[in-house]
Amino acid sequence: MSALERNAGEVIPELGRHQRPLLAAGALGLAVCAIGWVLEPAQFYQSYLMAYMLCLGVTLGCLALGMVHQLSGGAWGVVIRRPIGAASRVLPVMTVLFLPIVAGMQDLYVWTRPGVVAGDALLQHKQLYLNVPFFLARAGLYFIAWNVISHLLNKWGLEQDQTGDPQIARRMQRLSAGGLLVYGLTITFASFDWLMSIAPHWYSTIYGVIIIGGQGLSAIAFLIIVLEWLSRRPPLDTIIAKSHFHDLGNLLLAFVMLWAYFSFSQFLIIWAGNLPREIEWYVHRLQTSWMLLGGGLILFHFAVPLVLLLLRAMKREARLLVRLAVFMLLARLLDLYWLVAPDFHERGLALSWLDLALPLSLGTFWAGCFVYQLRRRPILPVHDPEFDEALGDILERGRRPSTAH
Amino acid sequence: MNEGLEPVADSNGGAMEVATRDVIAPGHTFSTVTDKISSIVLARRTPPGWWFGFAAAFLLTNLLMLAVAYLVLKGTGIWGVNVPVGWGFAIVNFVWWIGIGHAGTLISAILLLLKQSWRTSINRFAEAMTLFAVACAGLFPILHTGRPWLAIYWLFPYPNTMGIWPQFRSPLIWDVFAVSTYATVSLLFWFVGLIPDLATLRDRSQSRVGRVVYGMLAMGWRGSSMHWHRYETAYLLLAGIATPLVVSVHTVVSFDFAIAILPGWHTTIFPPYFVAGAIYSGFAMVLTLAIPIRAIYGLEDFITSRHLQNMAKVMLVTGLVVAYGYLTEAFIAWYSADPFESYVPFNRGTGFYASQYWSLIACNIVVPQLLWFKKVRTSTRALFTIAIIVNIGMWLERYIIVVTSLHRDFLPSSWGNYAGTFWDWSTFVGTLGLFLALLFLFVRFLPMISIAEMRAMLPEAKVEGRE
Repeated sequence: MSALERNAGEVIPELGRHQRPLLAAGALGLAVCAIGWVLEPAQFYQSYLMAYMLCLGVTLGCLALGMVHQLSGGAWGVVIRRPIGAASRVLPVMTVLFLPIVAGMQDLYVWTRPGVVAGDALLQHKQLYLNVPFFLARAGLYFIAWNVISHLLNKWGLEQDQTGDPQIARRMQRLSAGGLLVYGLTITFASFDWLMSIAPHWYSTIYGVIIIGGQGLSAIAFLIIVLEWLSRRPPLDTIIAKSHFHDLGNLLLAFVMLWAYFSFSQFLIIWAGNLPREIEWYVHRLQTSWMLLGGGLILFHFAVPLVLLLLRAMKREARLLVRLAVFMLLARLLDLYWLVAPDFHERGLALSWLDLALPLSLGTFWAGCFVYQLRRRPILPVHDPEFDEALGDILERGRRPSTAH
Repeated sequence: MNEGLEPVADSNGGAMEVATRDVIAPGHTFSTVTDKISSIVLARRTPPGWWFGFAAAFLLTNLLMLAVAYLVLKGTGIWGVNVPVGWGFAIVNFVWWIGIGHAGTLISAILLLLKQSWRTSINRFAEAMTLFAVACAGLFPILHTGRPWLAIYWLFPYPNTMGIWPQFRSPLIWDVFAVSTYATVSLLFWFVGLIPDLATLRDRSQSRVGRVVYGMLAMGWRGSSMHWHRYETAYLLLAGIATPLVVSVHTVVSFDFAIAILPGWHTTIFPPYFVAGAIYSGFAMVLTLAIPIRAIYGLEDFITSRHLQNMAKVMLVTGLVVAYGYLTEAFIAWYSADPFESYVPFNRGTGFYASQYWSLIACNIVVPQLLWFKKVRTSTRALFTIAIIVNIGMWLERYIIVVTSLHRDFLPSSWGNYAGTFWDWSTFVGTLGLFLALLFLFVRFLPMISIAEMRAMLPEAKVEGRE
């Protein structure tokens, strides 16, 4: 047990060996991307927004899943509680990394250009909401809210690890209930602001829900990758069972289906209505070579993972599941590309090297920050009220269970 | 798996806390559980309260018969529907009843797959509620066709010499498939779950009629391990099939509105928001029924405070999702900069139906916030009151959605107001009677709690190595 109470960095020294290369490679990649920023700033900002939303999706998705688990309980969450915490502690870095988007507002959002607004009655109506100071104030509010929630939950989690005070769990539950409410509202309006307003005439009430589902999916996929990595090294190699992956695989399946459900609902309703202001978003996505991307999404973001995740063996074999999880993170990138890029290149597919380089660099840098955070706390929440129920038997027996169900 | 719903220790601490966490009161054995549940059905004498309640419900069912008979005689002109509001009570009631059914499916299928074992004592009863609610819902679109005896011909695609088919691009036809699938799967699921209990009743029944009827329904159940093995496989498979139905049915119902281009109907949030609303109203109805029944039949040992609290939490969450739907709808209506879209929330809040609209907000959003407090969740009276209020609120929500969008068309020349007539109300109240009458019969003749599943939850059933 004592090994579990020490920080992960001490127990799993390999973590430390990965941290610096990840941070260095990420920083180097971002430096190379800066060349793109000099050469074609507009393209840089578009690719950056997409890469940023993917990393933010994992960060906030983990924060939200952590809060859901505080309220719902369940064995699936106990073993990923600390990776969830570490991911959410990357939030301050993500806050700073939002600045390039602020710098690129003129390039990303046409409603910031007075010349365009002056000739557009609709944008004049929306100016009450879509104006630069209010946009920045809202972004500030979102980040304050997310950082405060994440900070408090992590602080109390640390206290719980150190003191084992059972009252702390209660406090964390209370904050999680309110926190989820705040998360749902802020991410909805953030997705309206940062993504939907790229096409400022267009609107869809389900948009925020699609983004929330996507963030949950990104987070689960990421956590499967982390858990698989941890499960191959002591001390978790004797603790993580197939059933943990089975549970996470089922959650991945649920989010894949939810994403498809939300996205298809939006498409069907807008397609059937065929109203000029709504269908414009789909016209250039479906009547140019962007349609290939749409088809790719149906295949890789829905059909393939759906079929694979229905197989029991897929969910219980960590080696297989982790590959699918990596695949799903790529599919998430594809979806964000679908949400962002076509509005800037209405004539058809236009892939820039930055669309690949930026997600890769930012993702690597993010992973370095995550490893740094993961090392600094114990790897399991040993004083969590659920801990004994979820893992007590396994720890007592001190060996890997063949099956848990 | 579900223990995290309540923290292990509480500032109140001690014994009180343990009692509110129990799914079955301590001290029960196989035989006490079986006796307690089956005695309600097998008792020779029907309690007078049952007769009184059934009579009242049956009276209302007769009102329904009367309303339907008069409708058939005179036509849909006896209802308040007319241009421009061509959809009135019938659609409102259809959506309301279908929504109520969703809690039953959620409890029996999704909570089963999520291994939430607390669902065990309420699932049978909630499934029965689903069936009766779907039966009431199904009446309305058929009656609304005006000539119900031709409804089959209009709704179901069948090869005919005229080569005429229904309009497959209309969500109303998708509804026919969605609802009939839903009814079939729910019925099968309910019946399969009943089989072991029907065998218990067959074996315990004192009367010959009881032995024969329950015996036939039990389909030769002997409780052999092979029977159990197949039973459990079938039950899990049906749960898997029923799970997507929880989402699909109300999604298709939401398409009835959202596929049209009418402001207030045509909005992309409708599918998830309708599903959340359905579960919300369904749990409200389960609480409305479960609280009096457990008090009357003394079932507090099986339907414990823990069940009521969990259902209250589900209501709180789904109620907040519904509130989220209202909020995004209103915000995007303004954001769209479309005068017709922005008029919808304005008209709802200040127009002819403003009082109904604000009552709906009070019933669905304001009052249920009390459920944040544990004191409210543990008080059966408060829960019962809130559940009734949510039932009313969800009915008003559908009324507002259906009527406000229709009564203000794009052209002011085609504006008009709508109100239900005496016959509209009679039909609605009549289906309430039908629902309750069926429920009374169910409670009297079938075990309202699954005996077999309850026995499996007892400590006695925990055989080493089974978990």
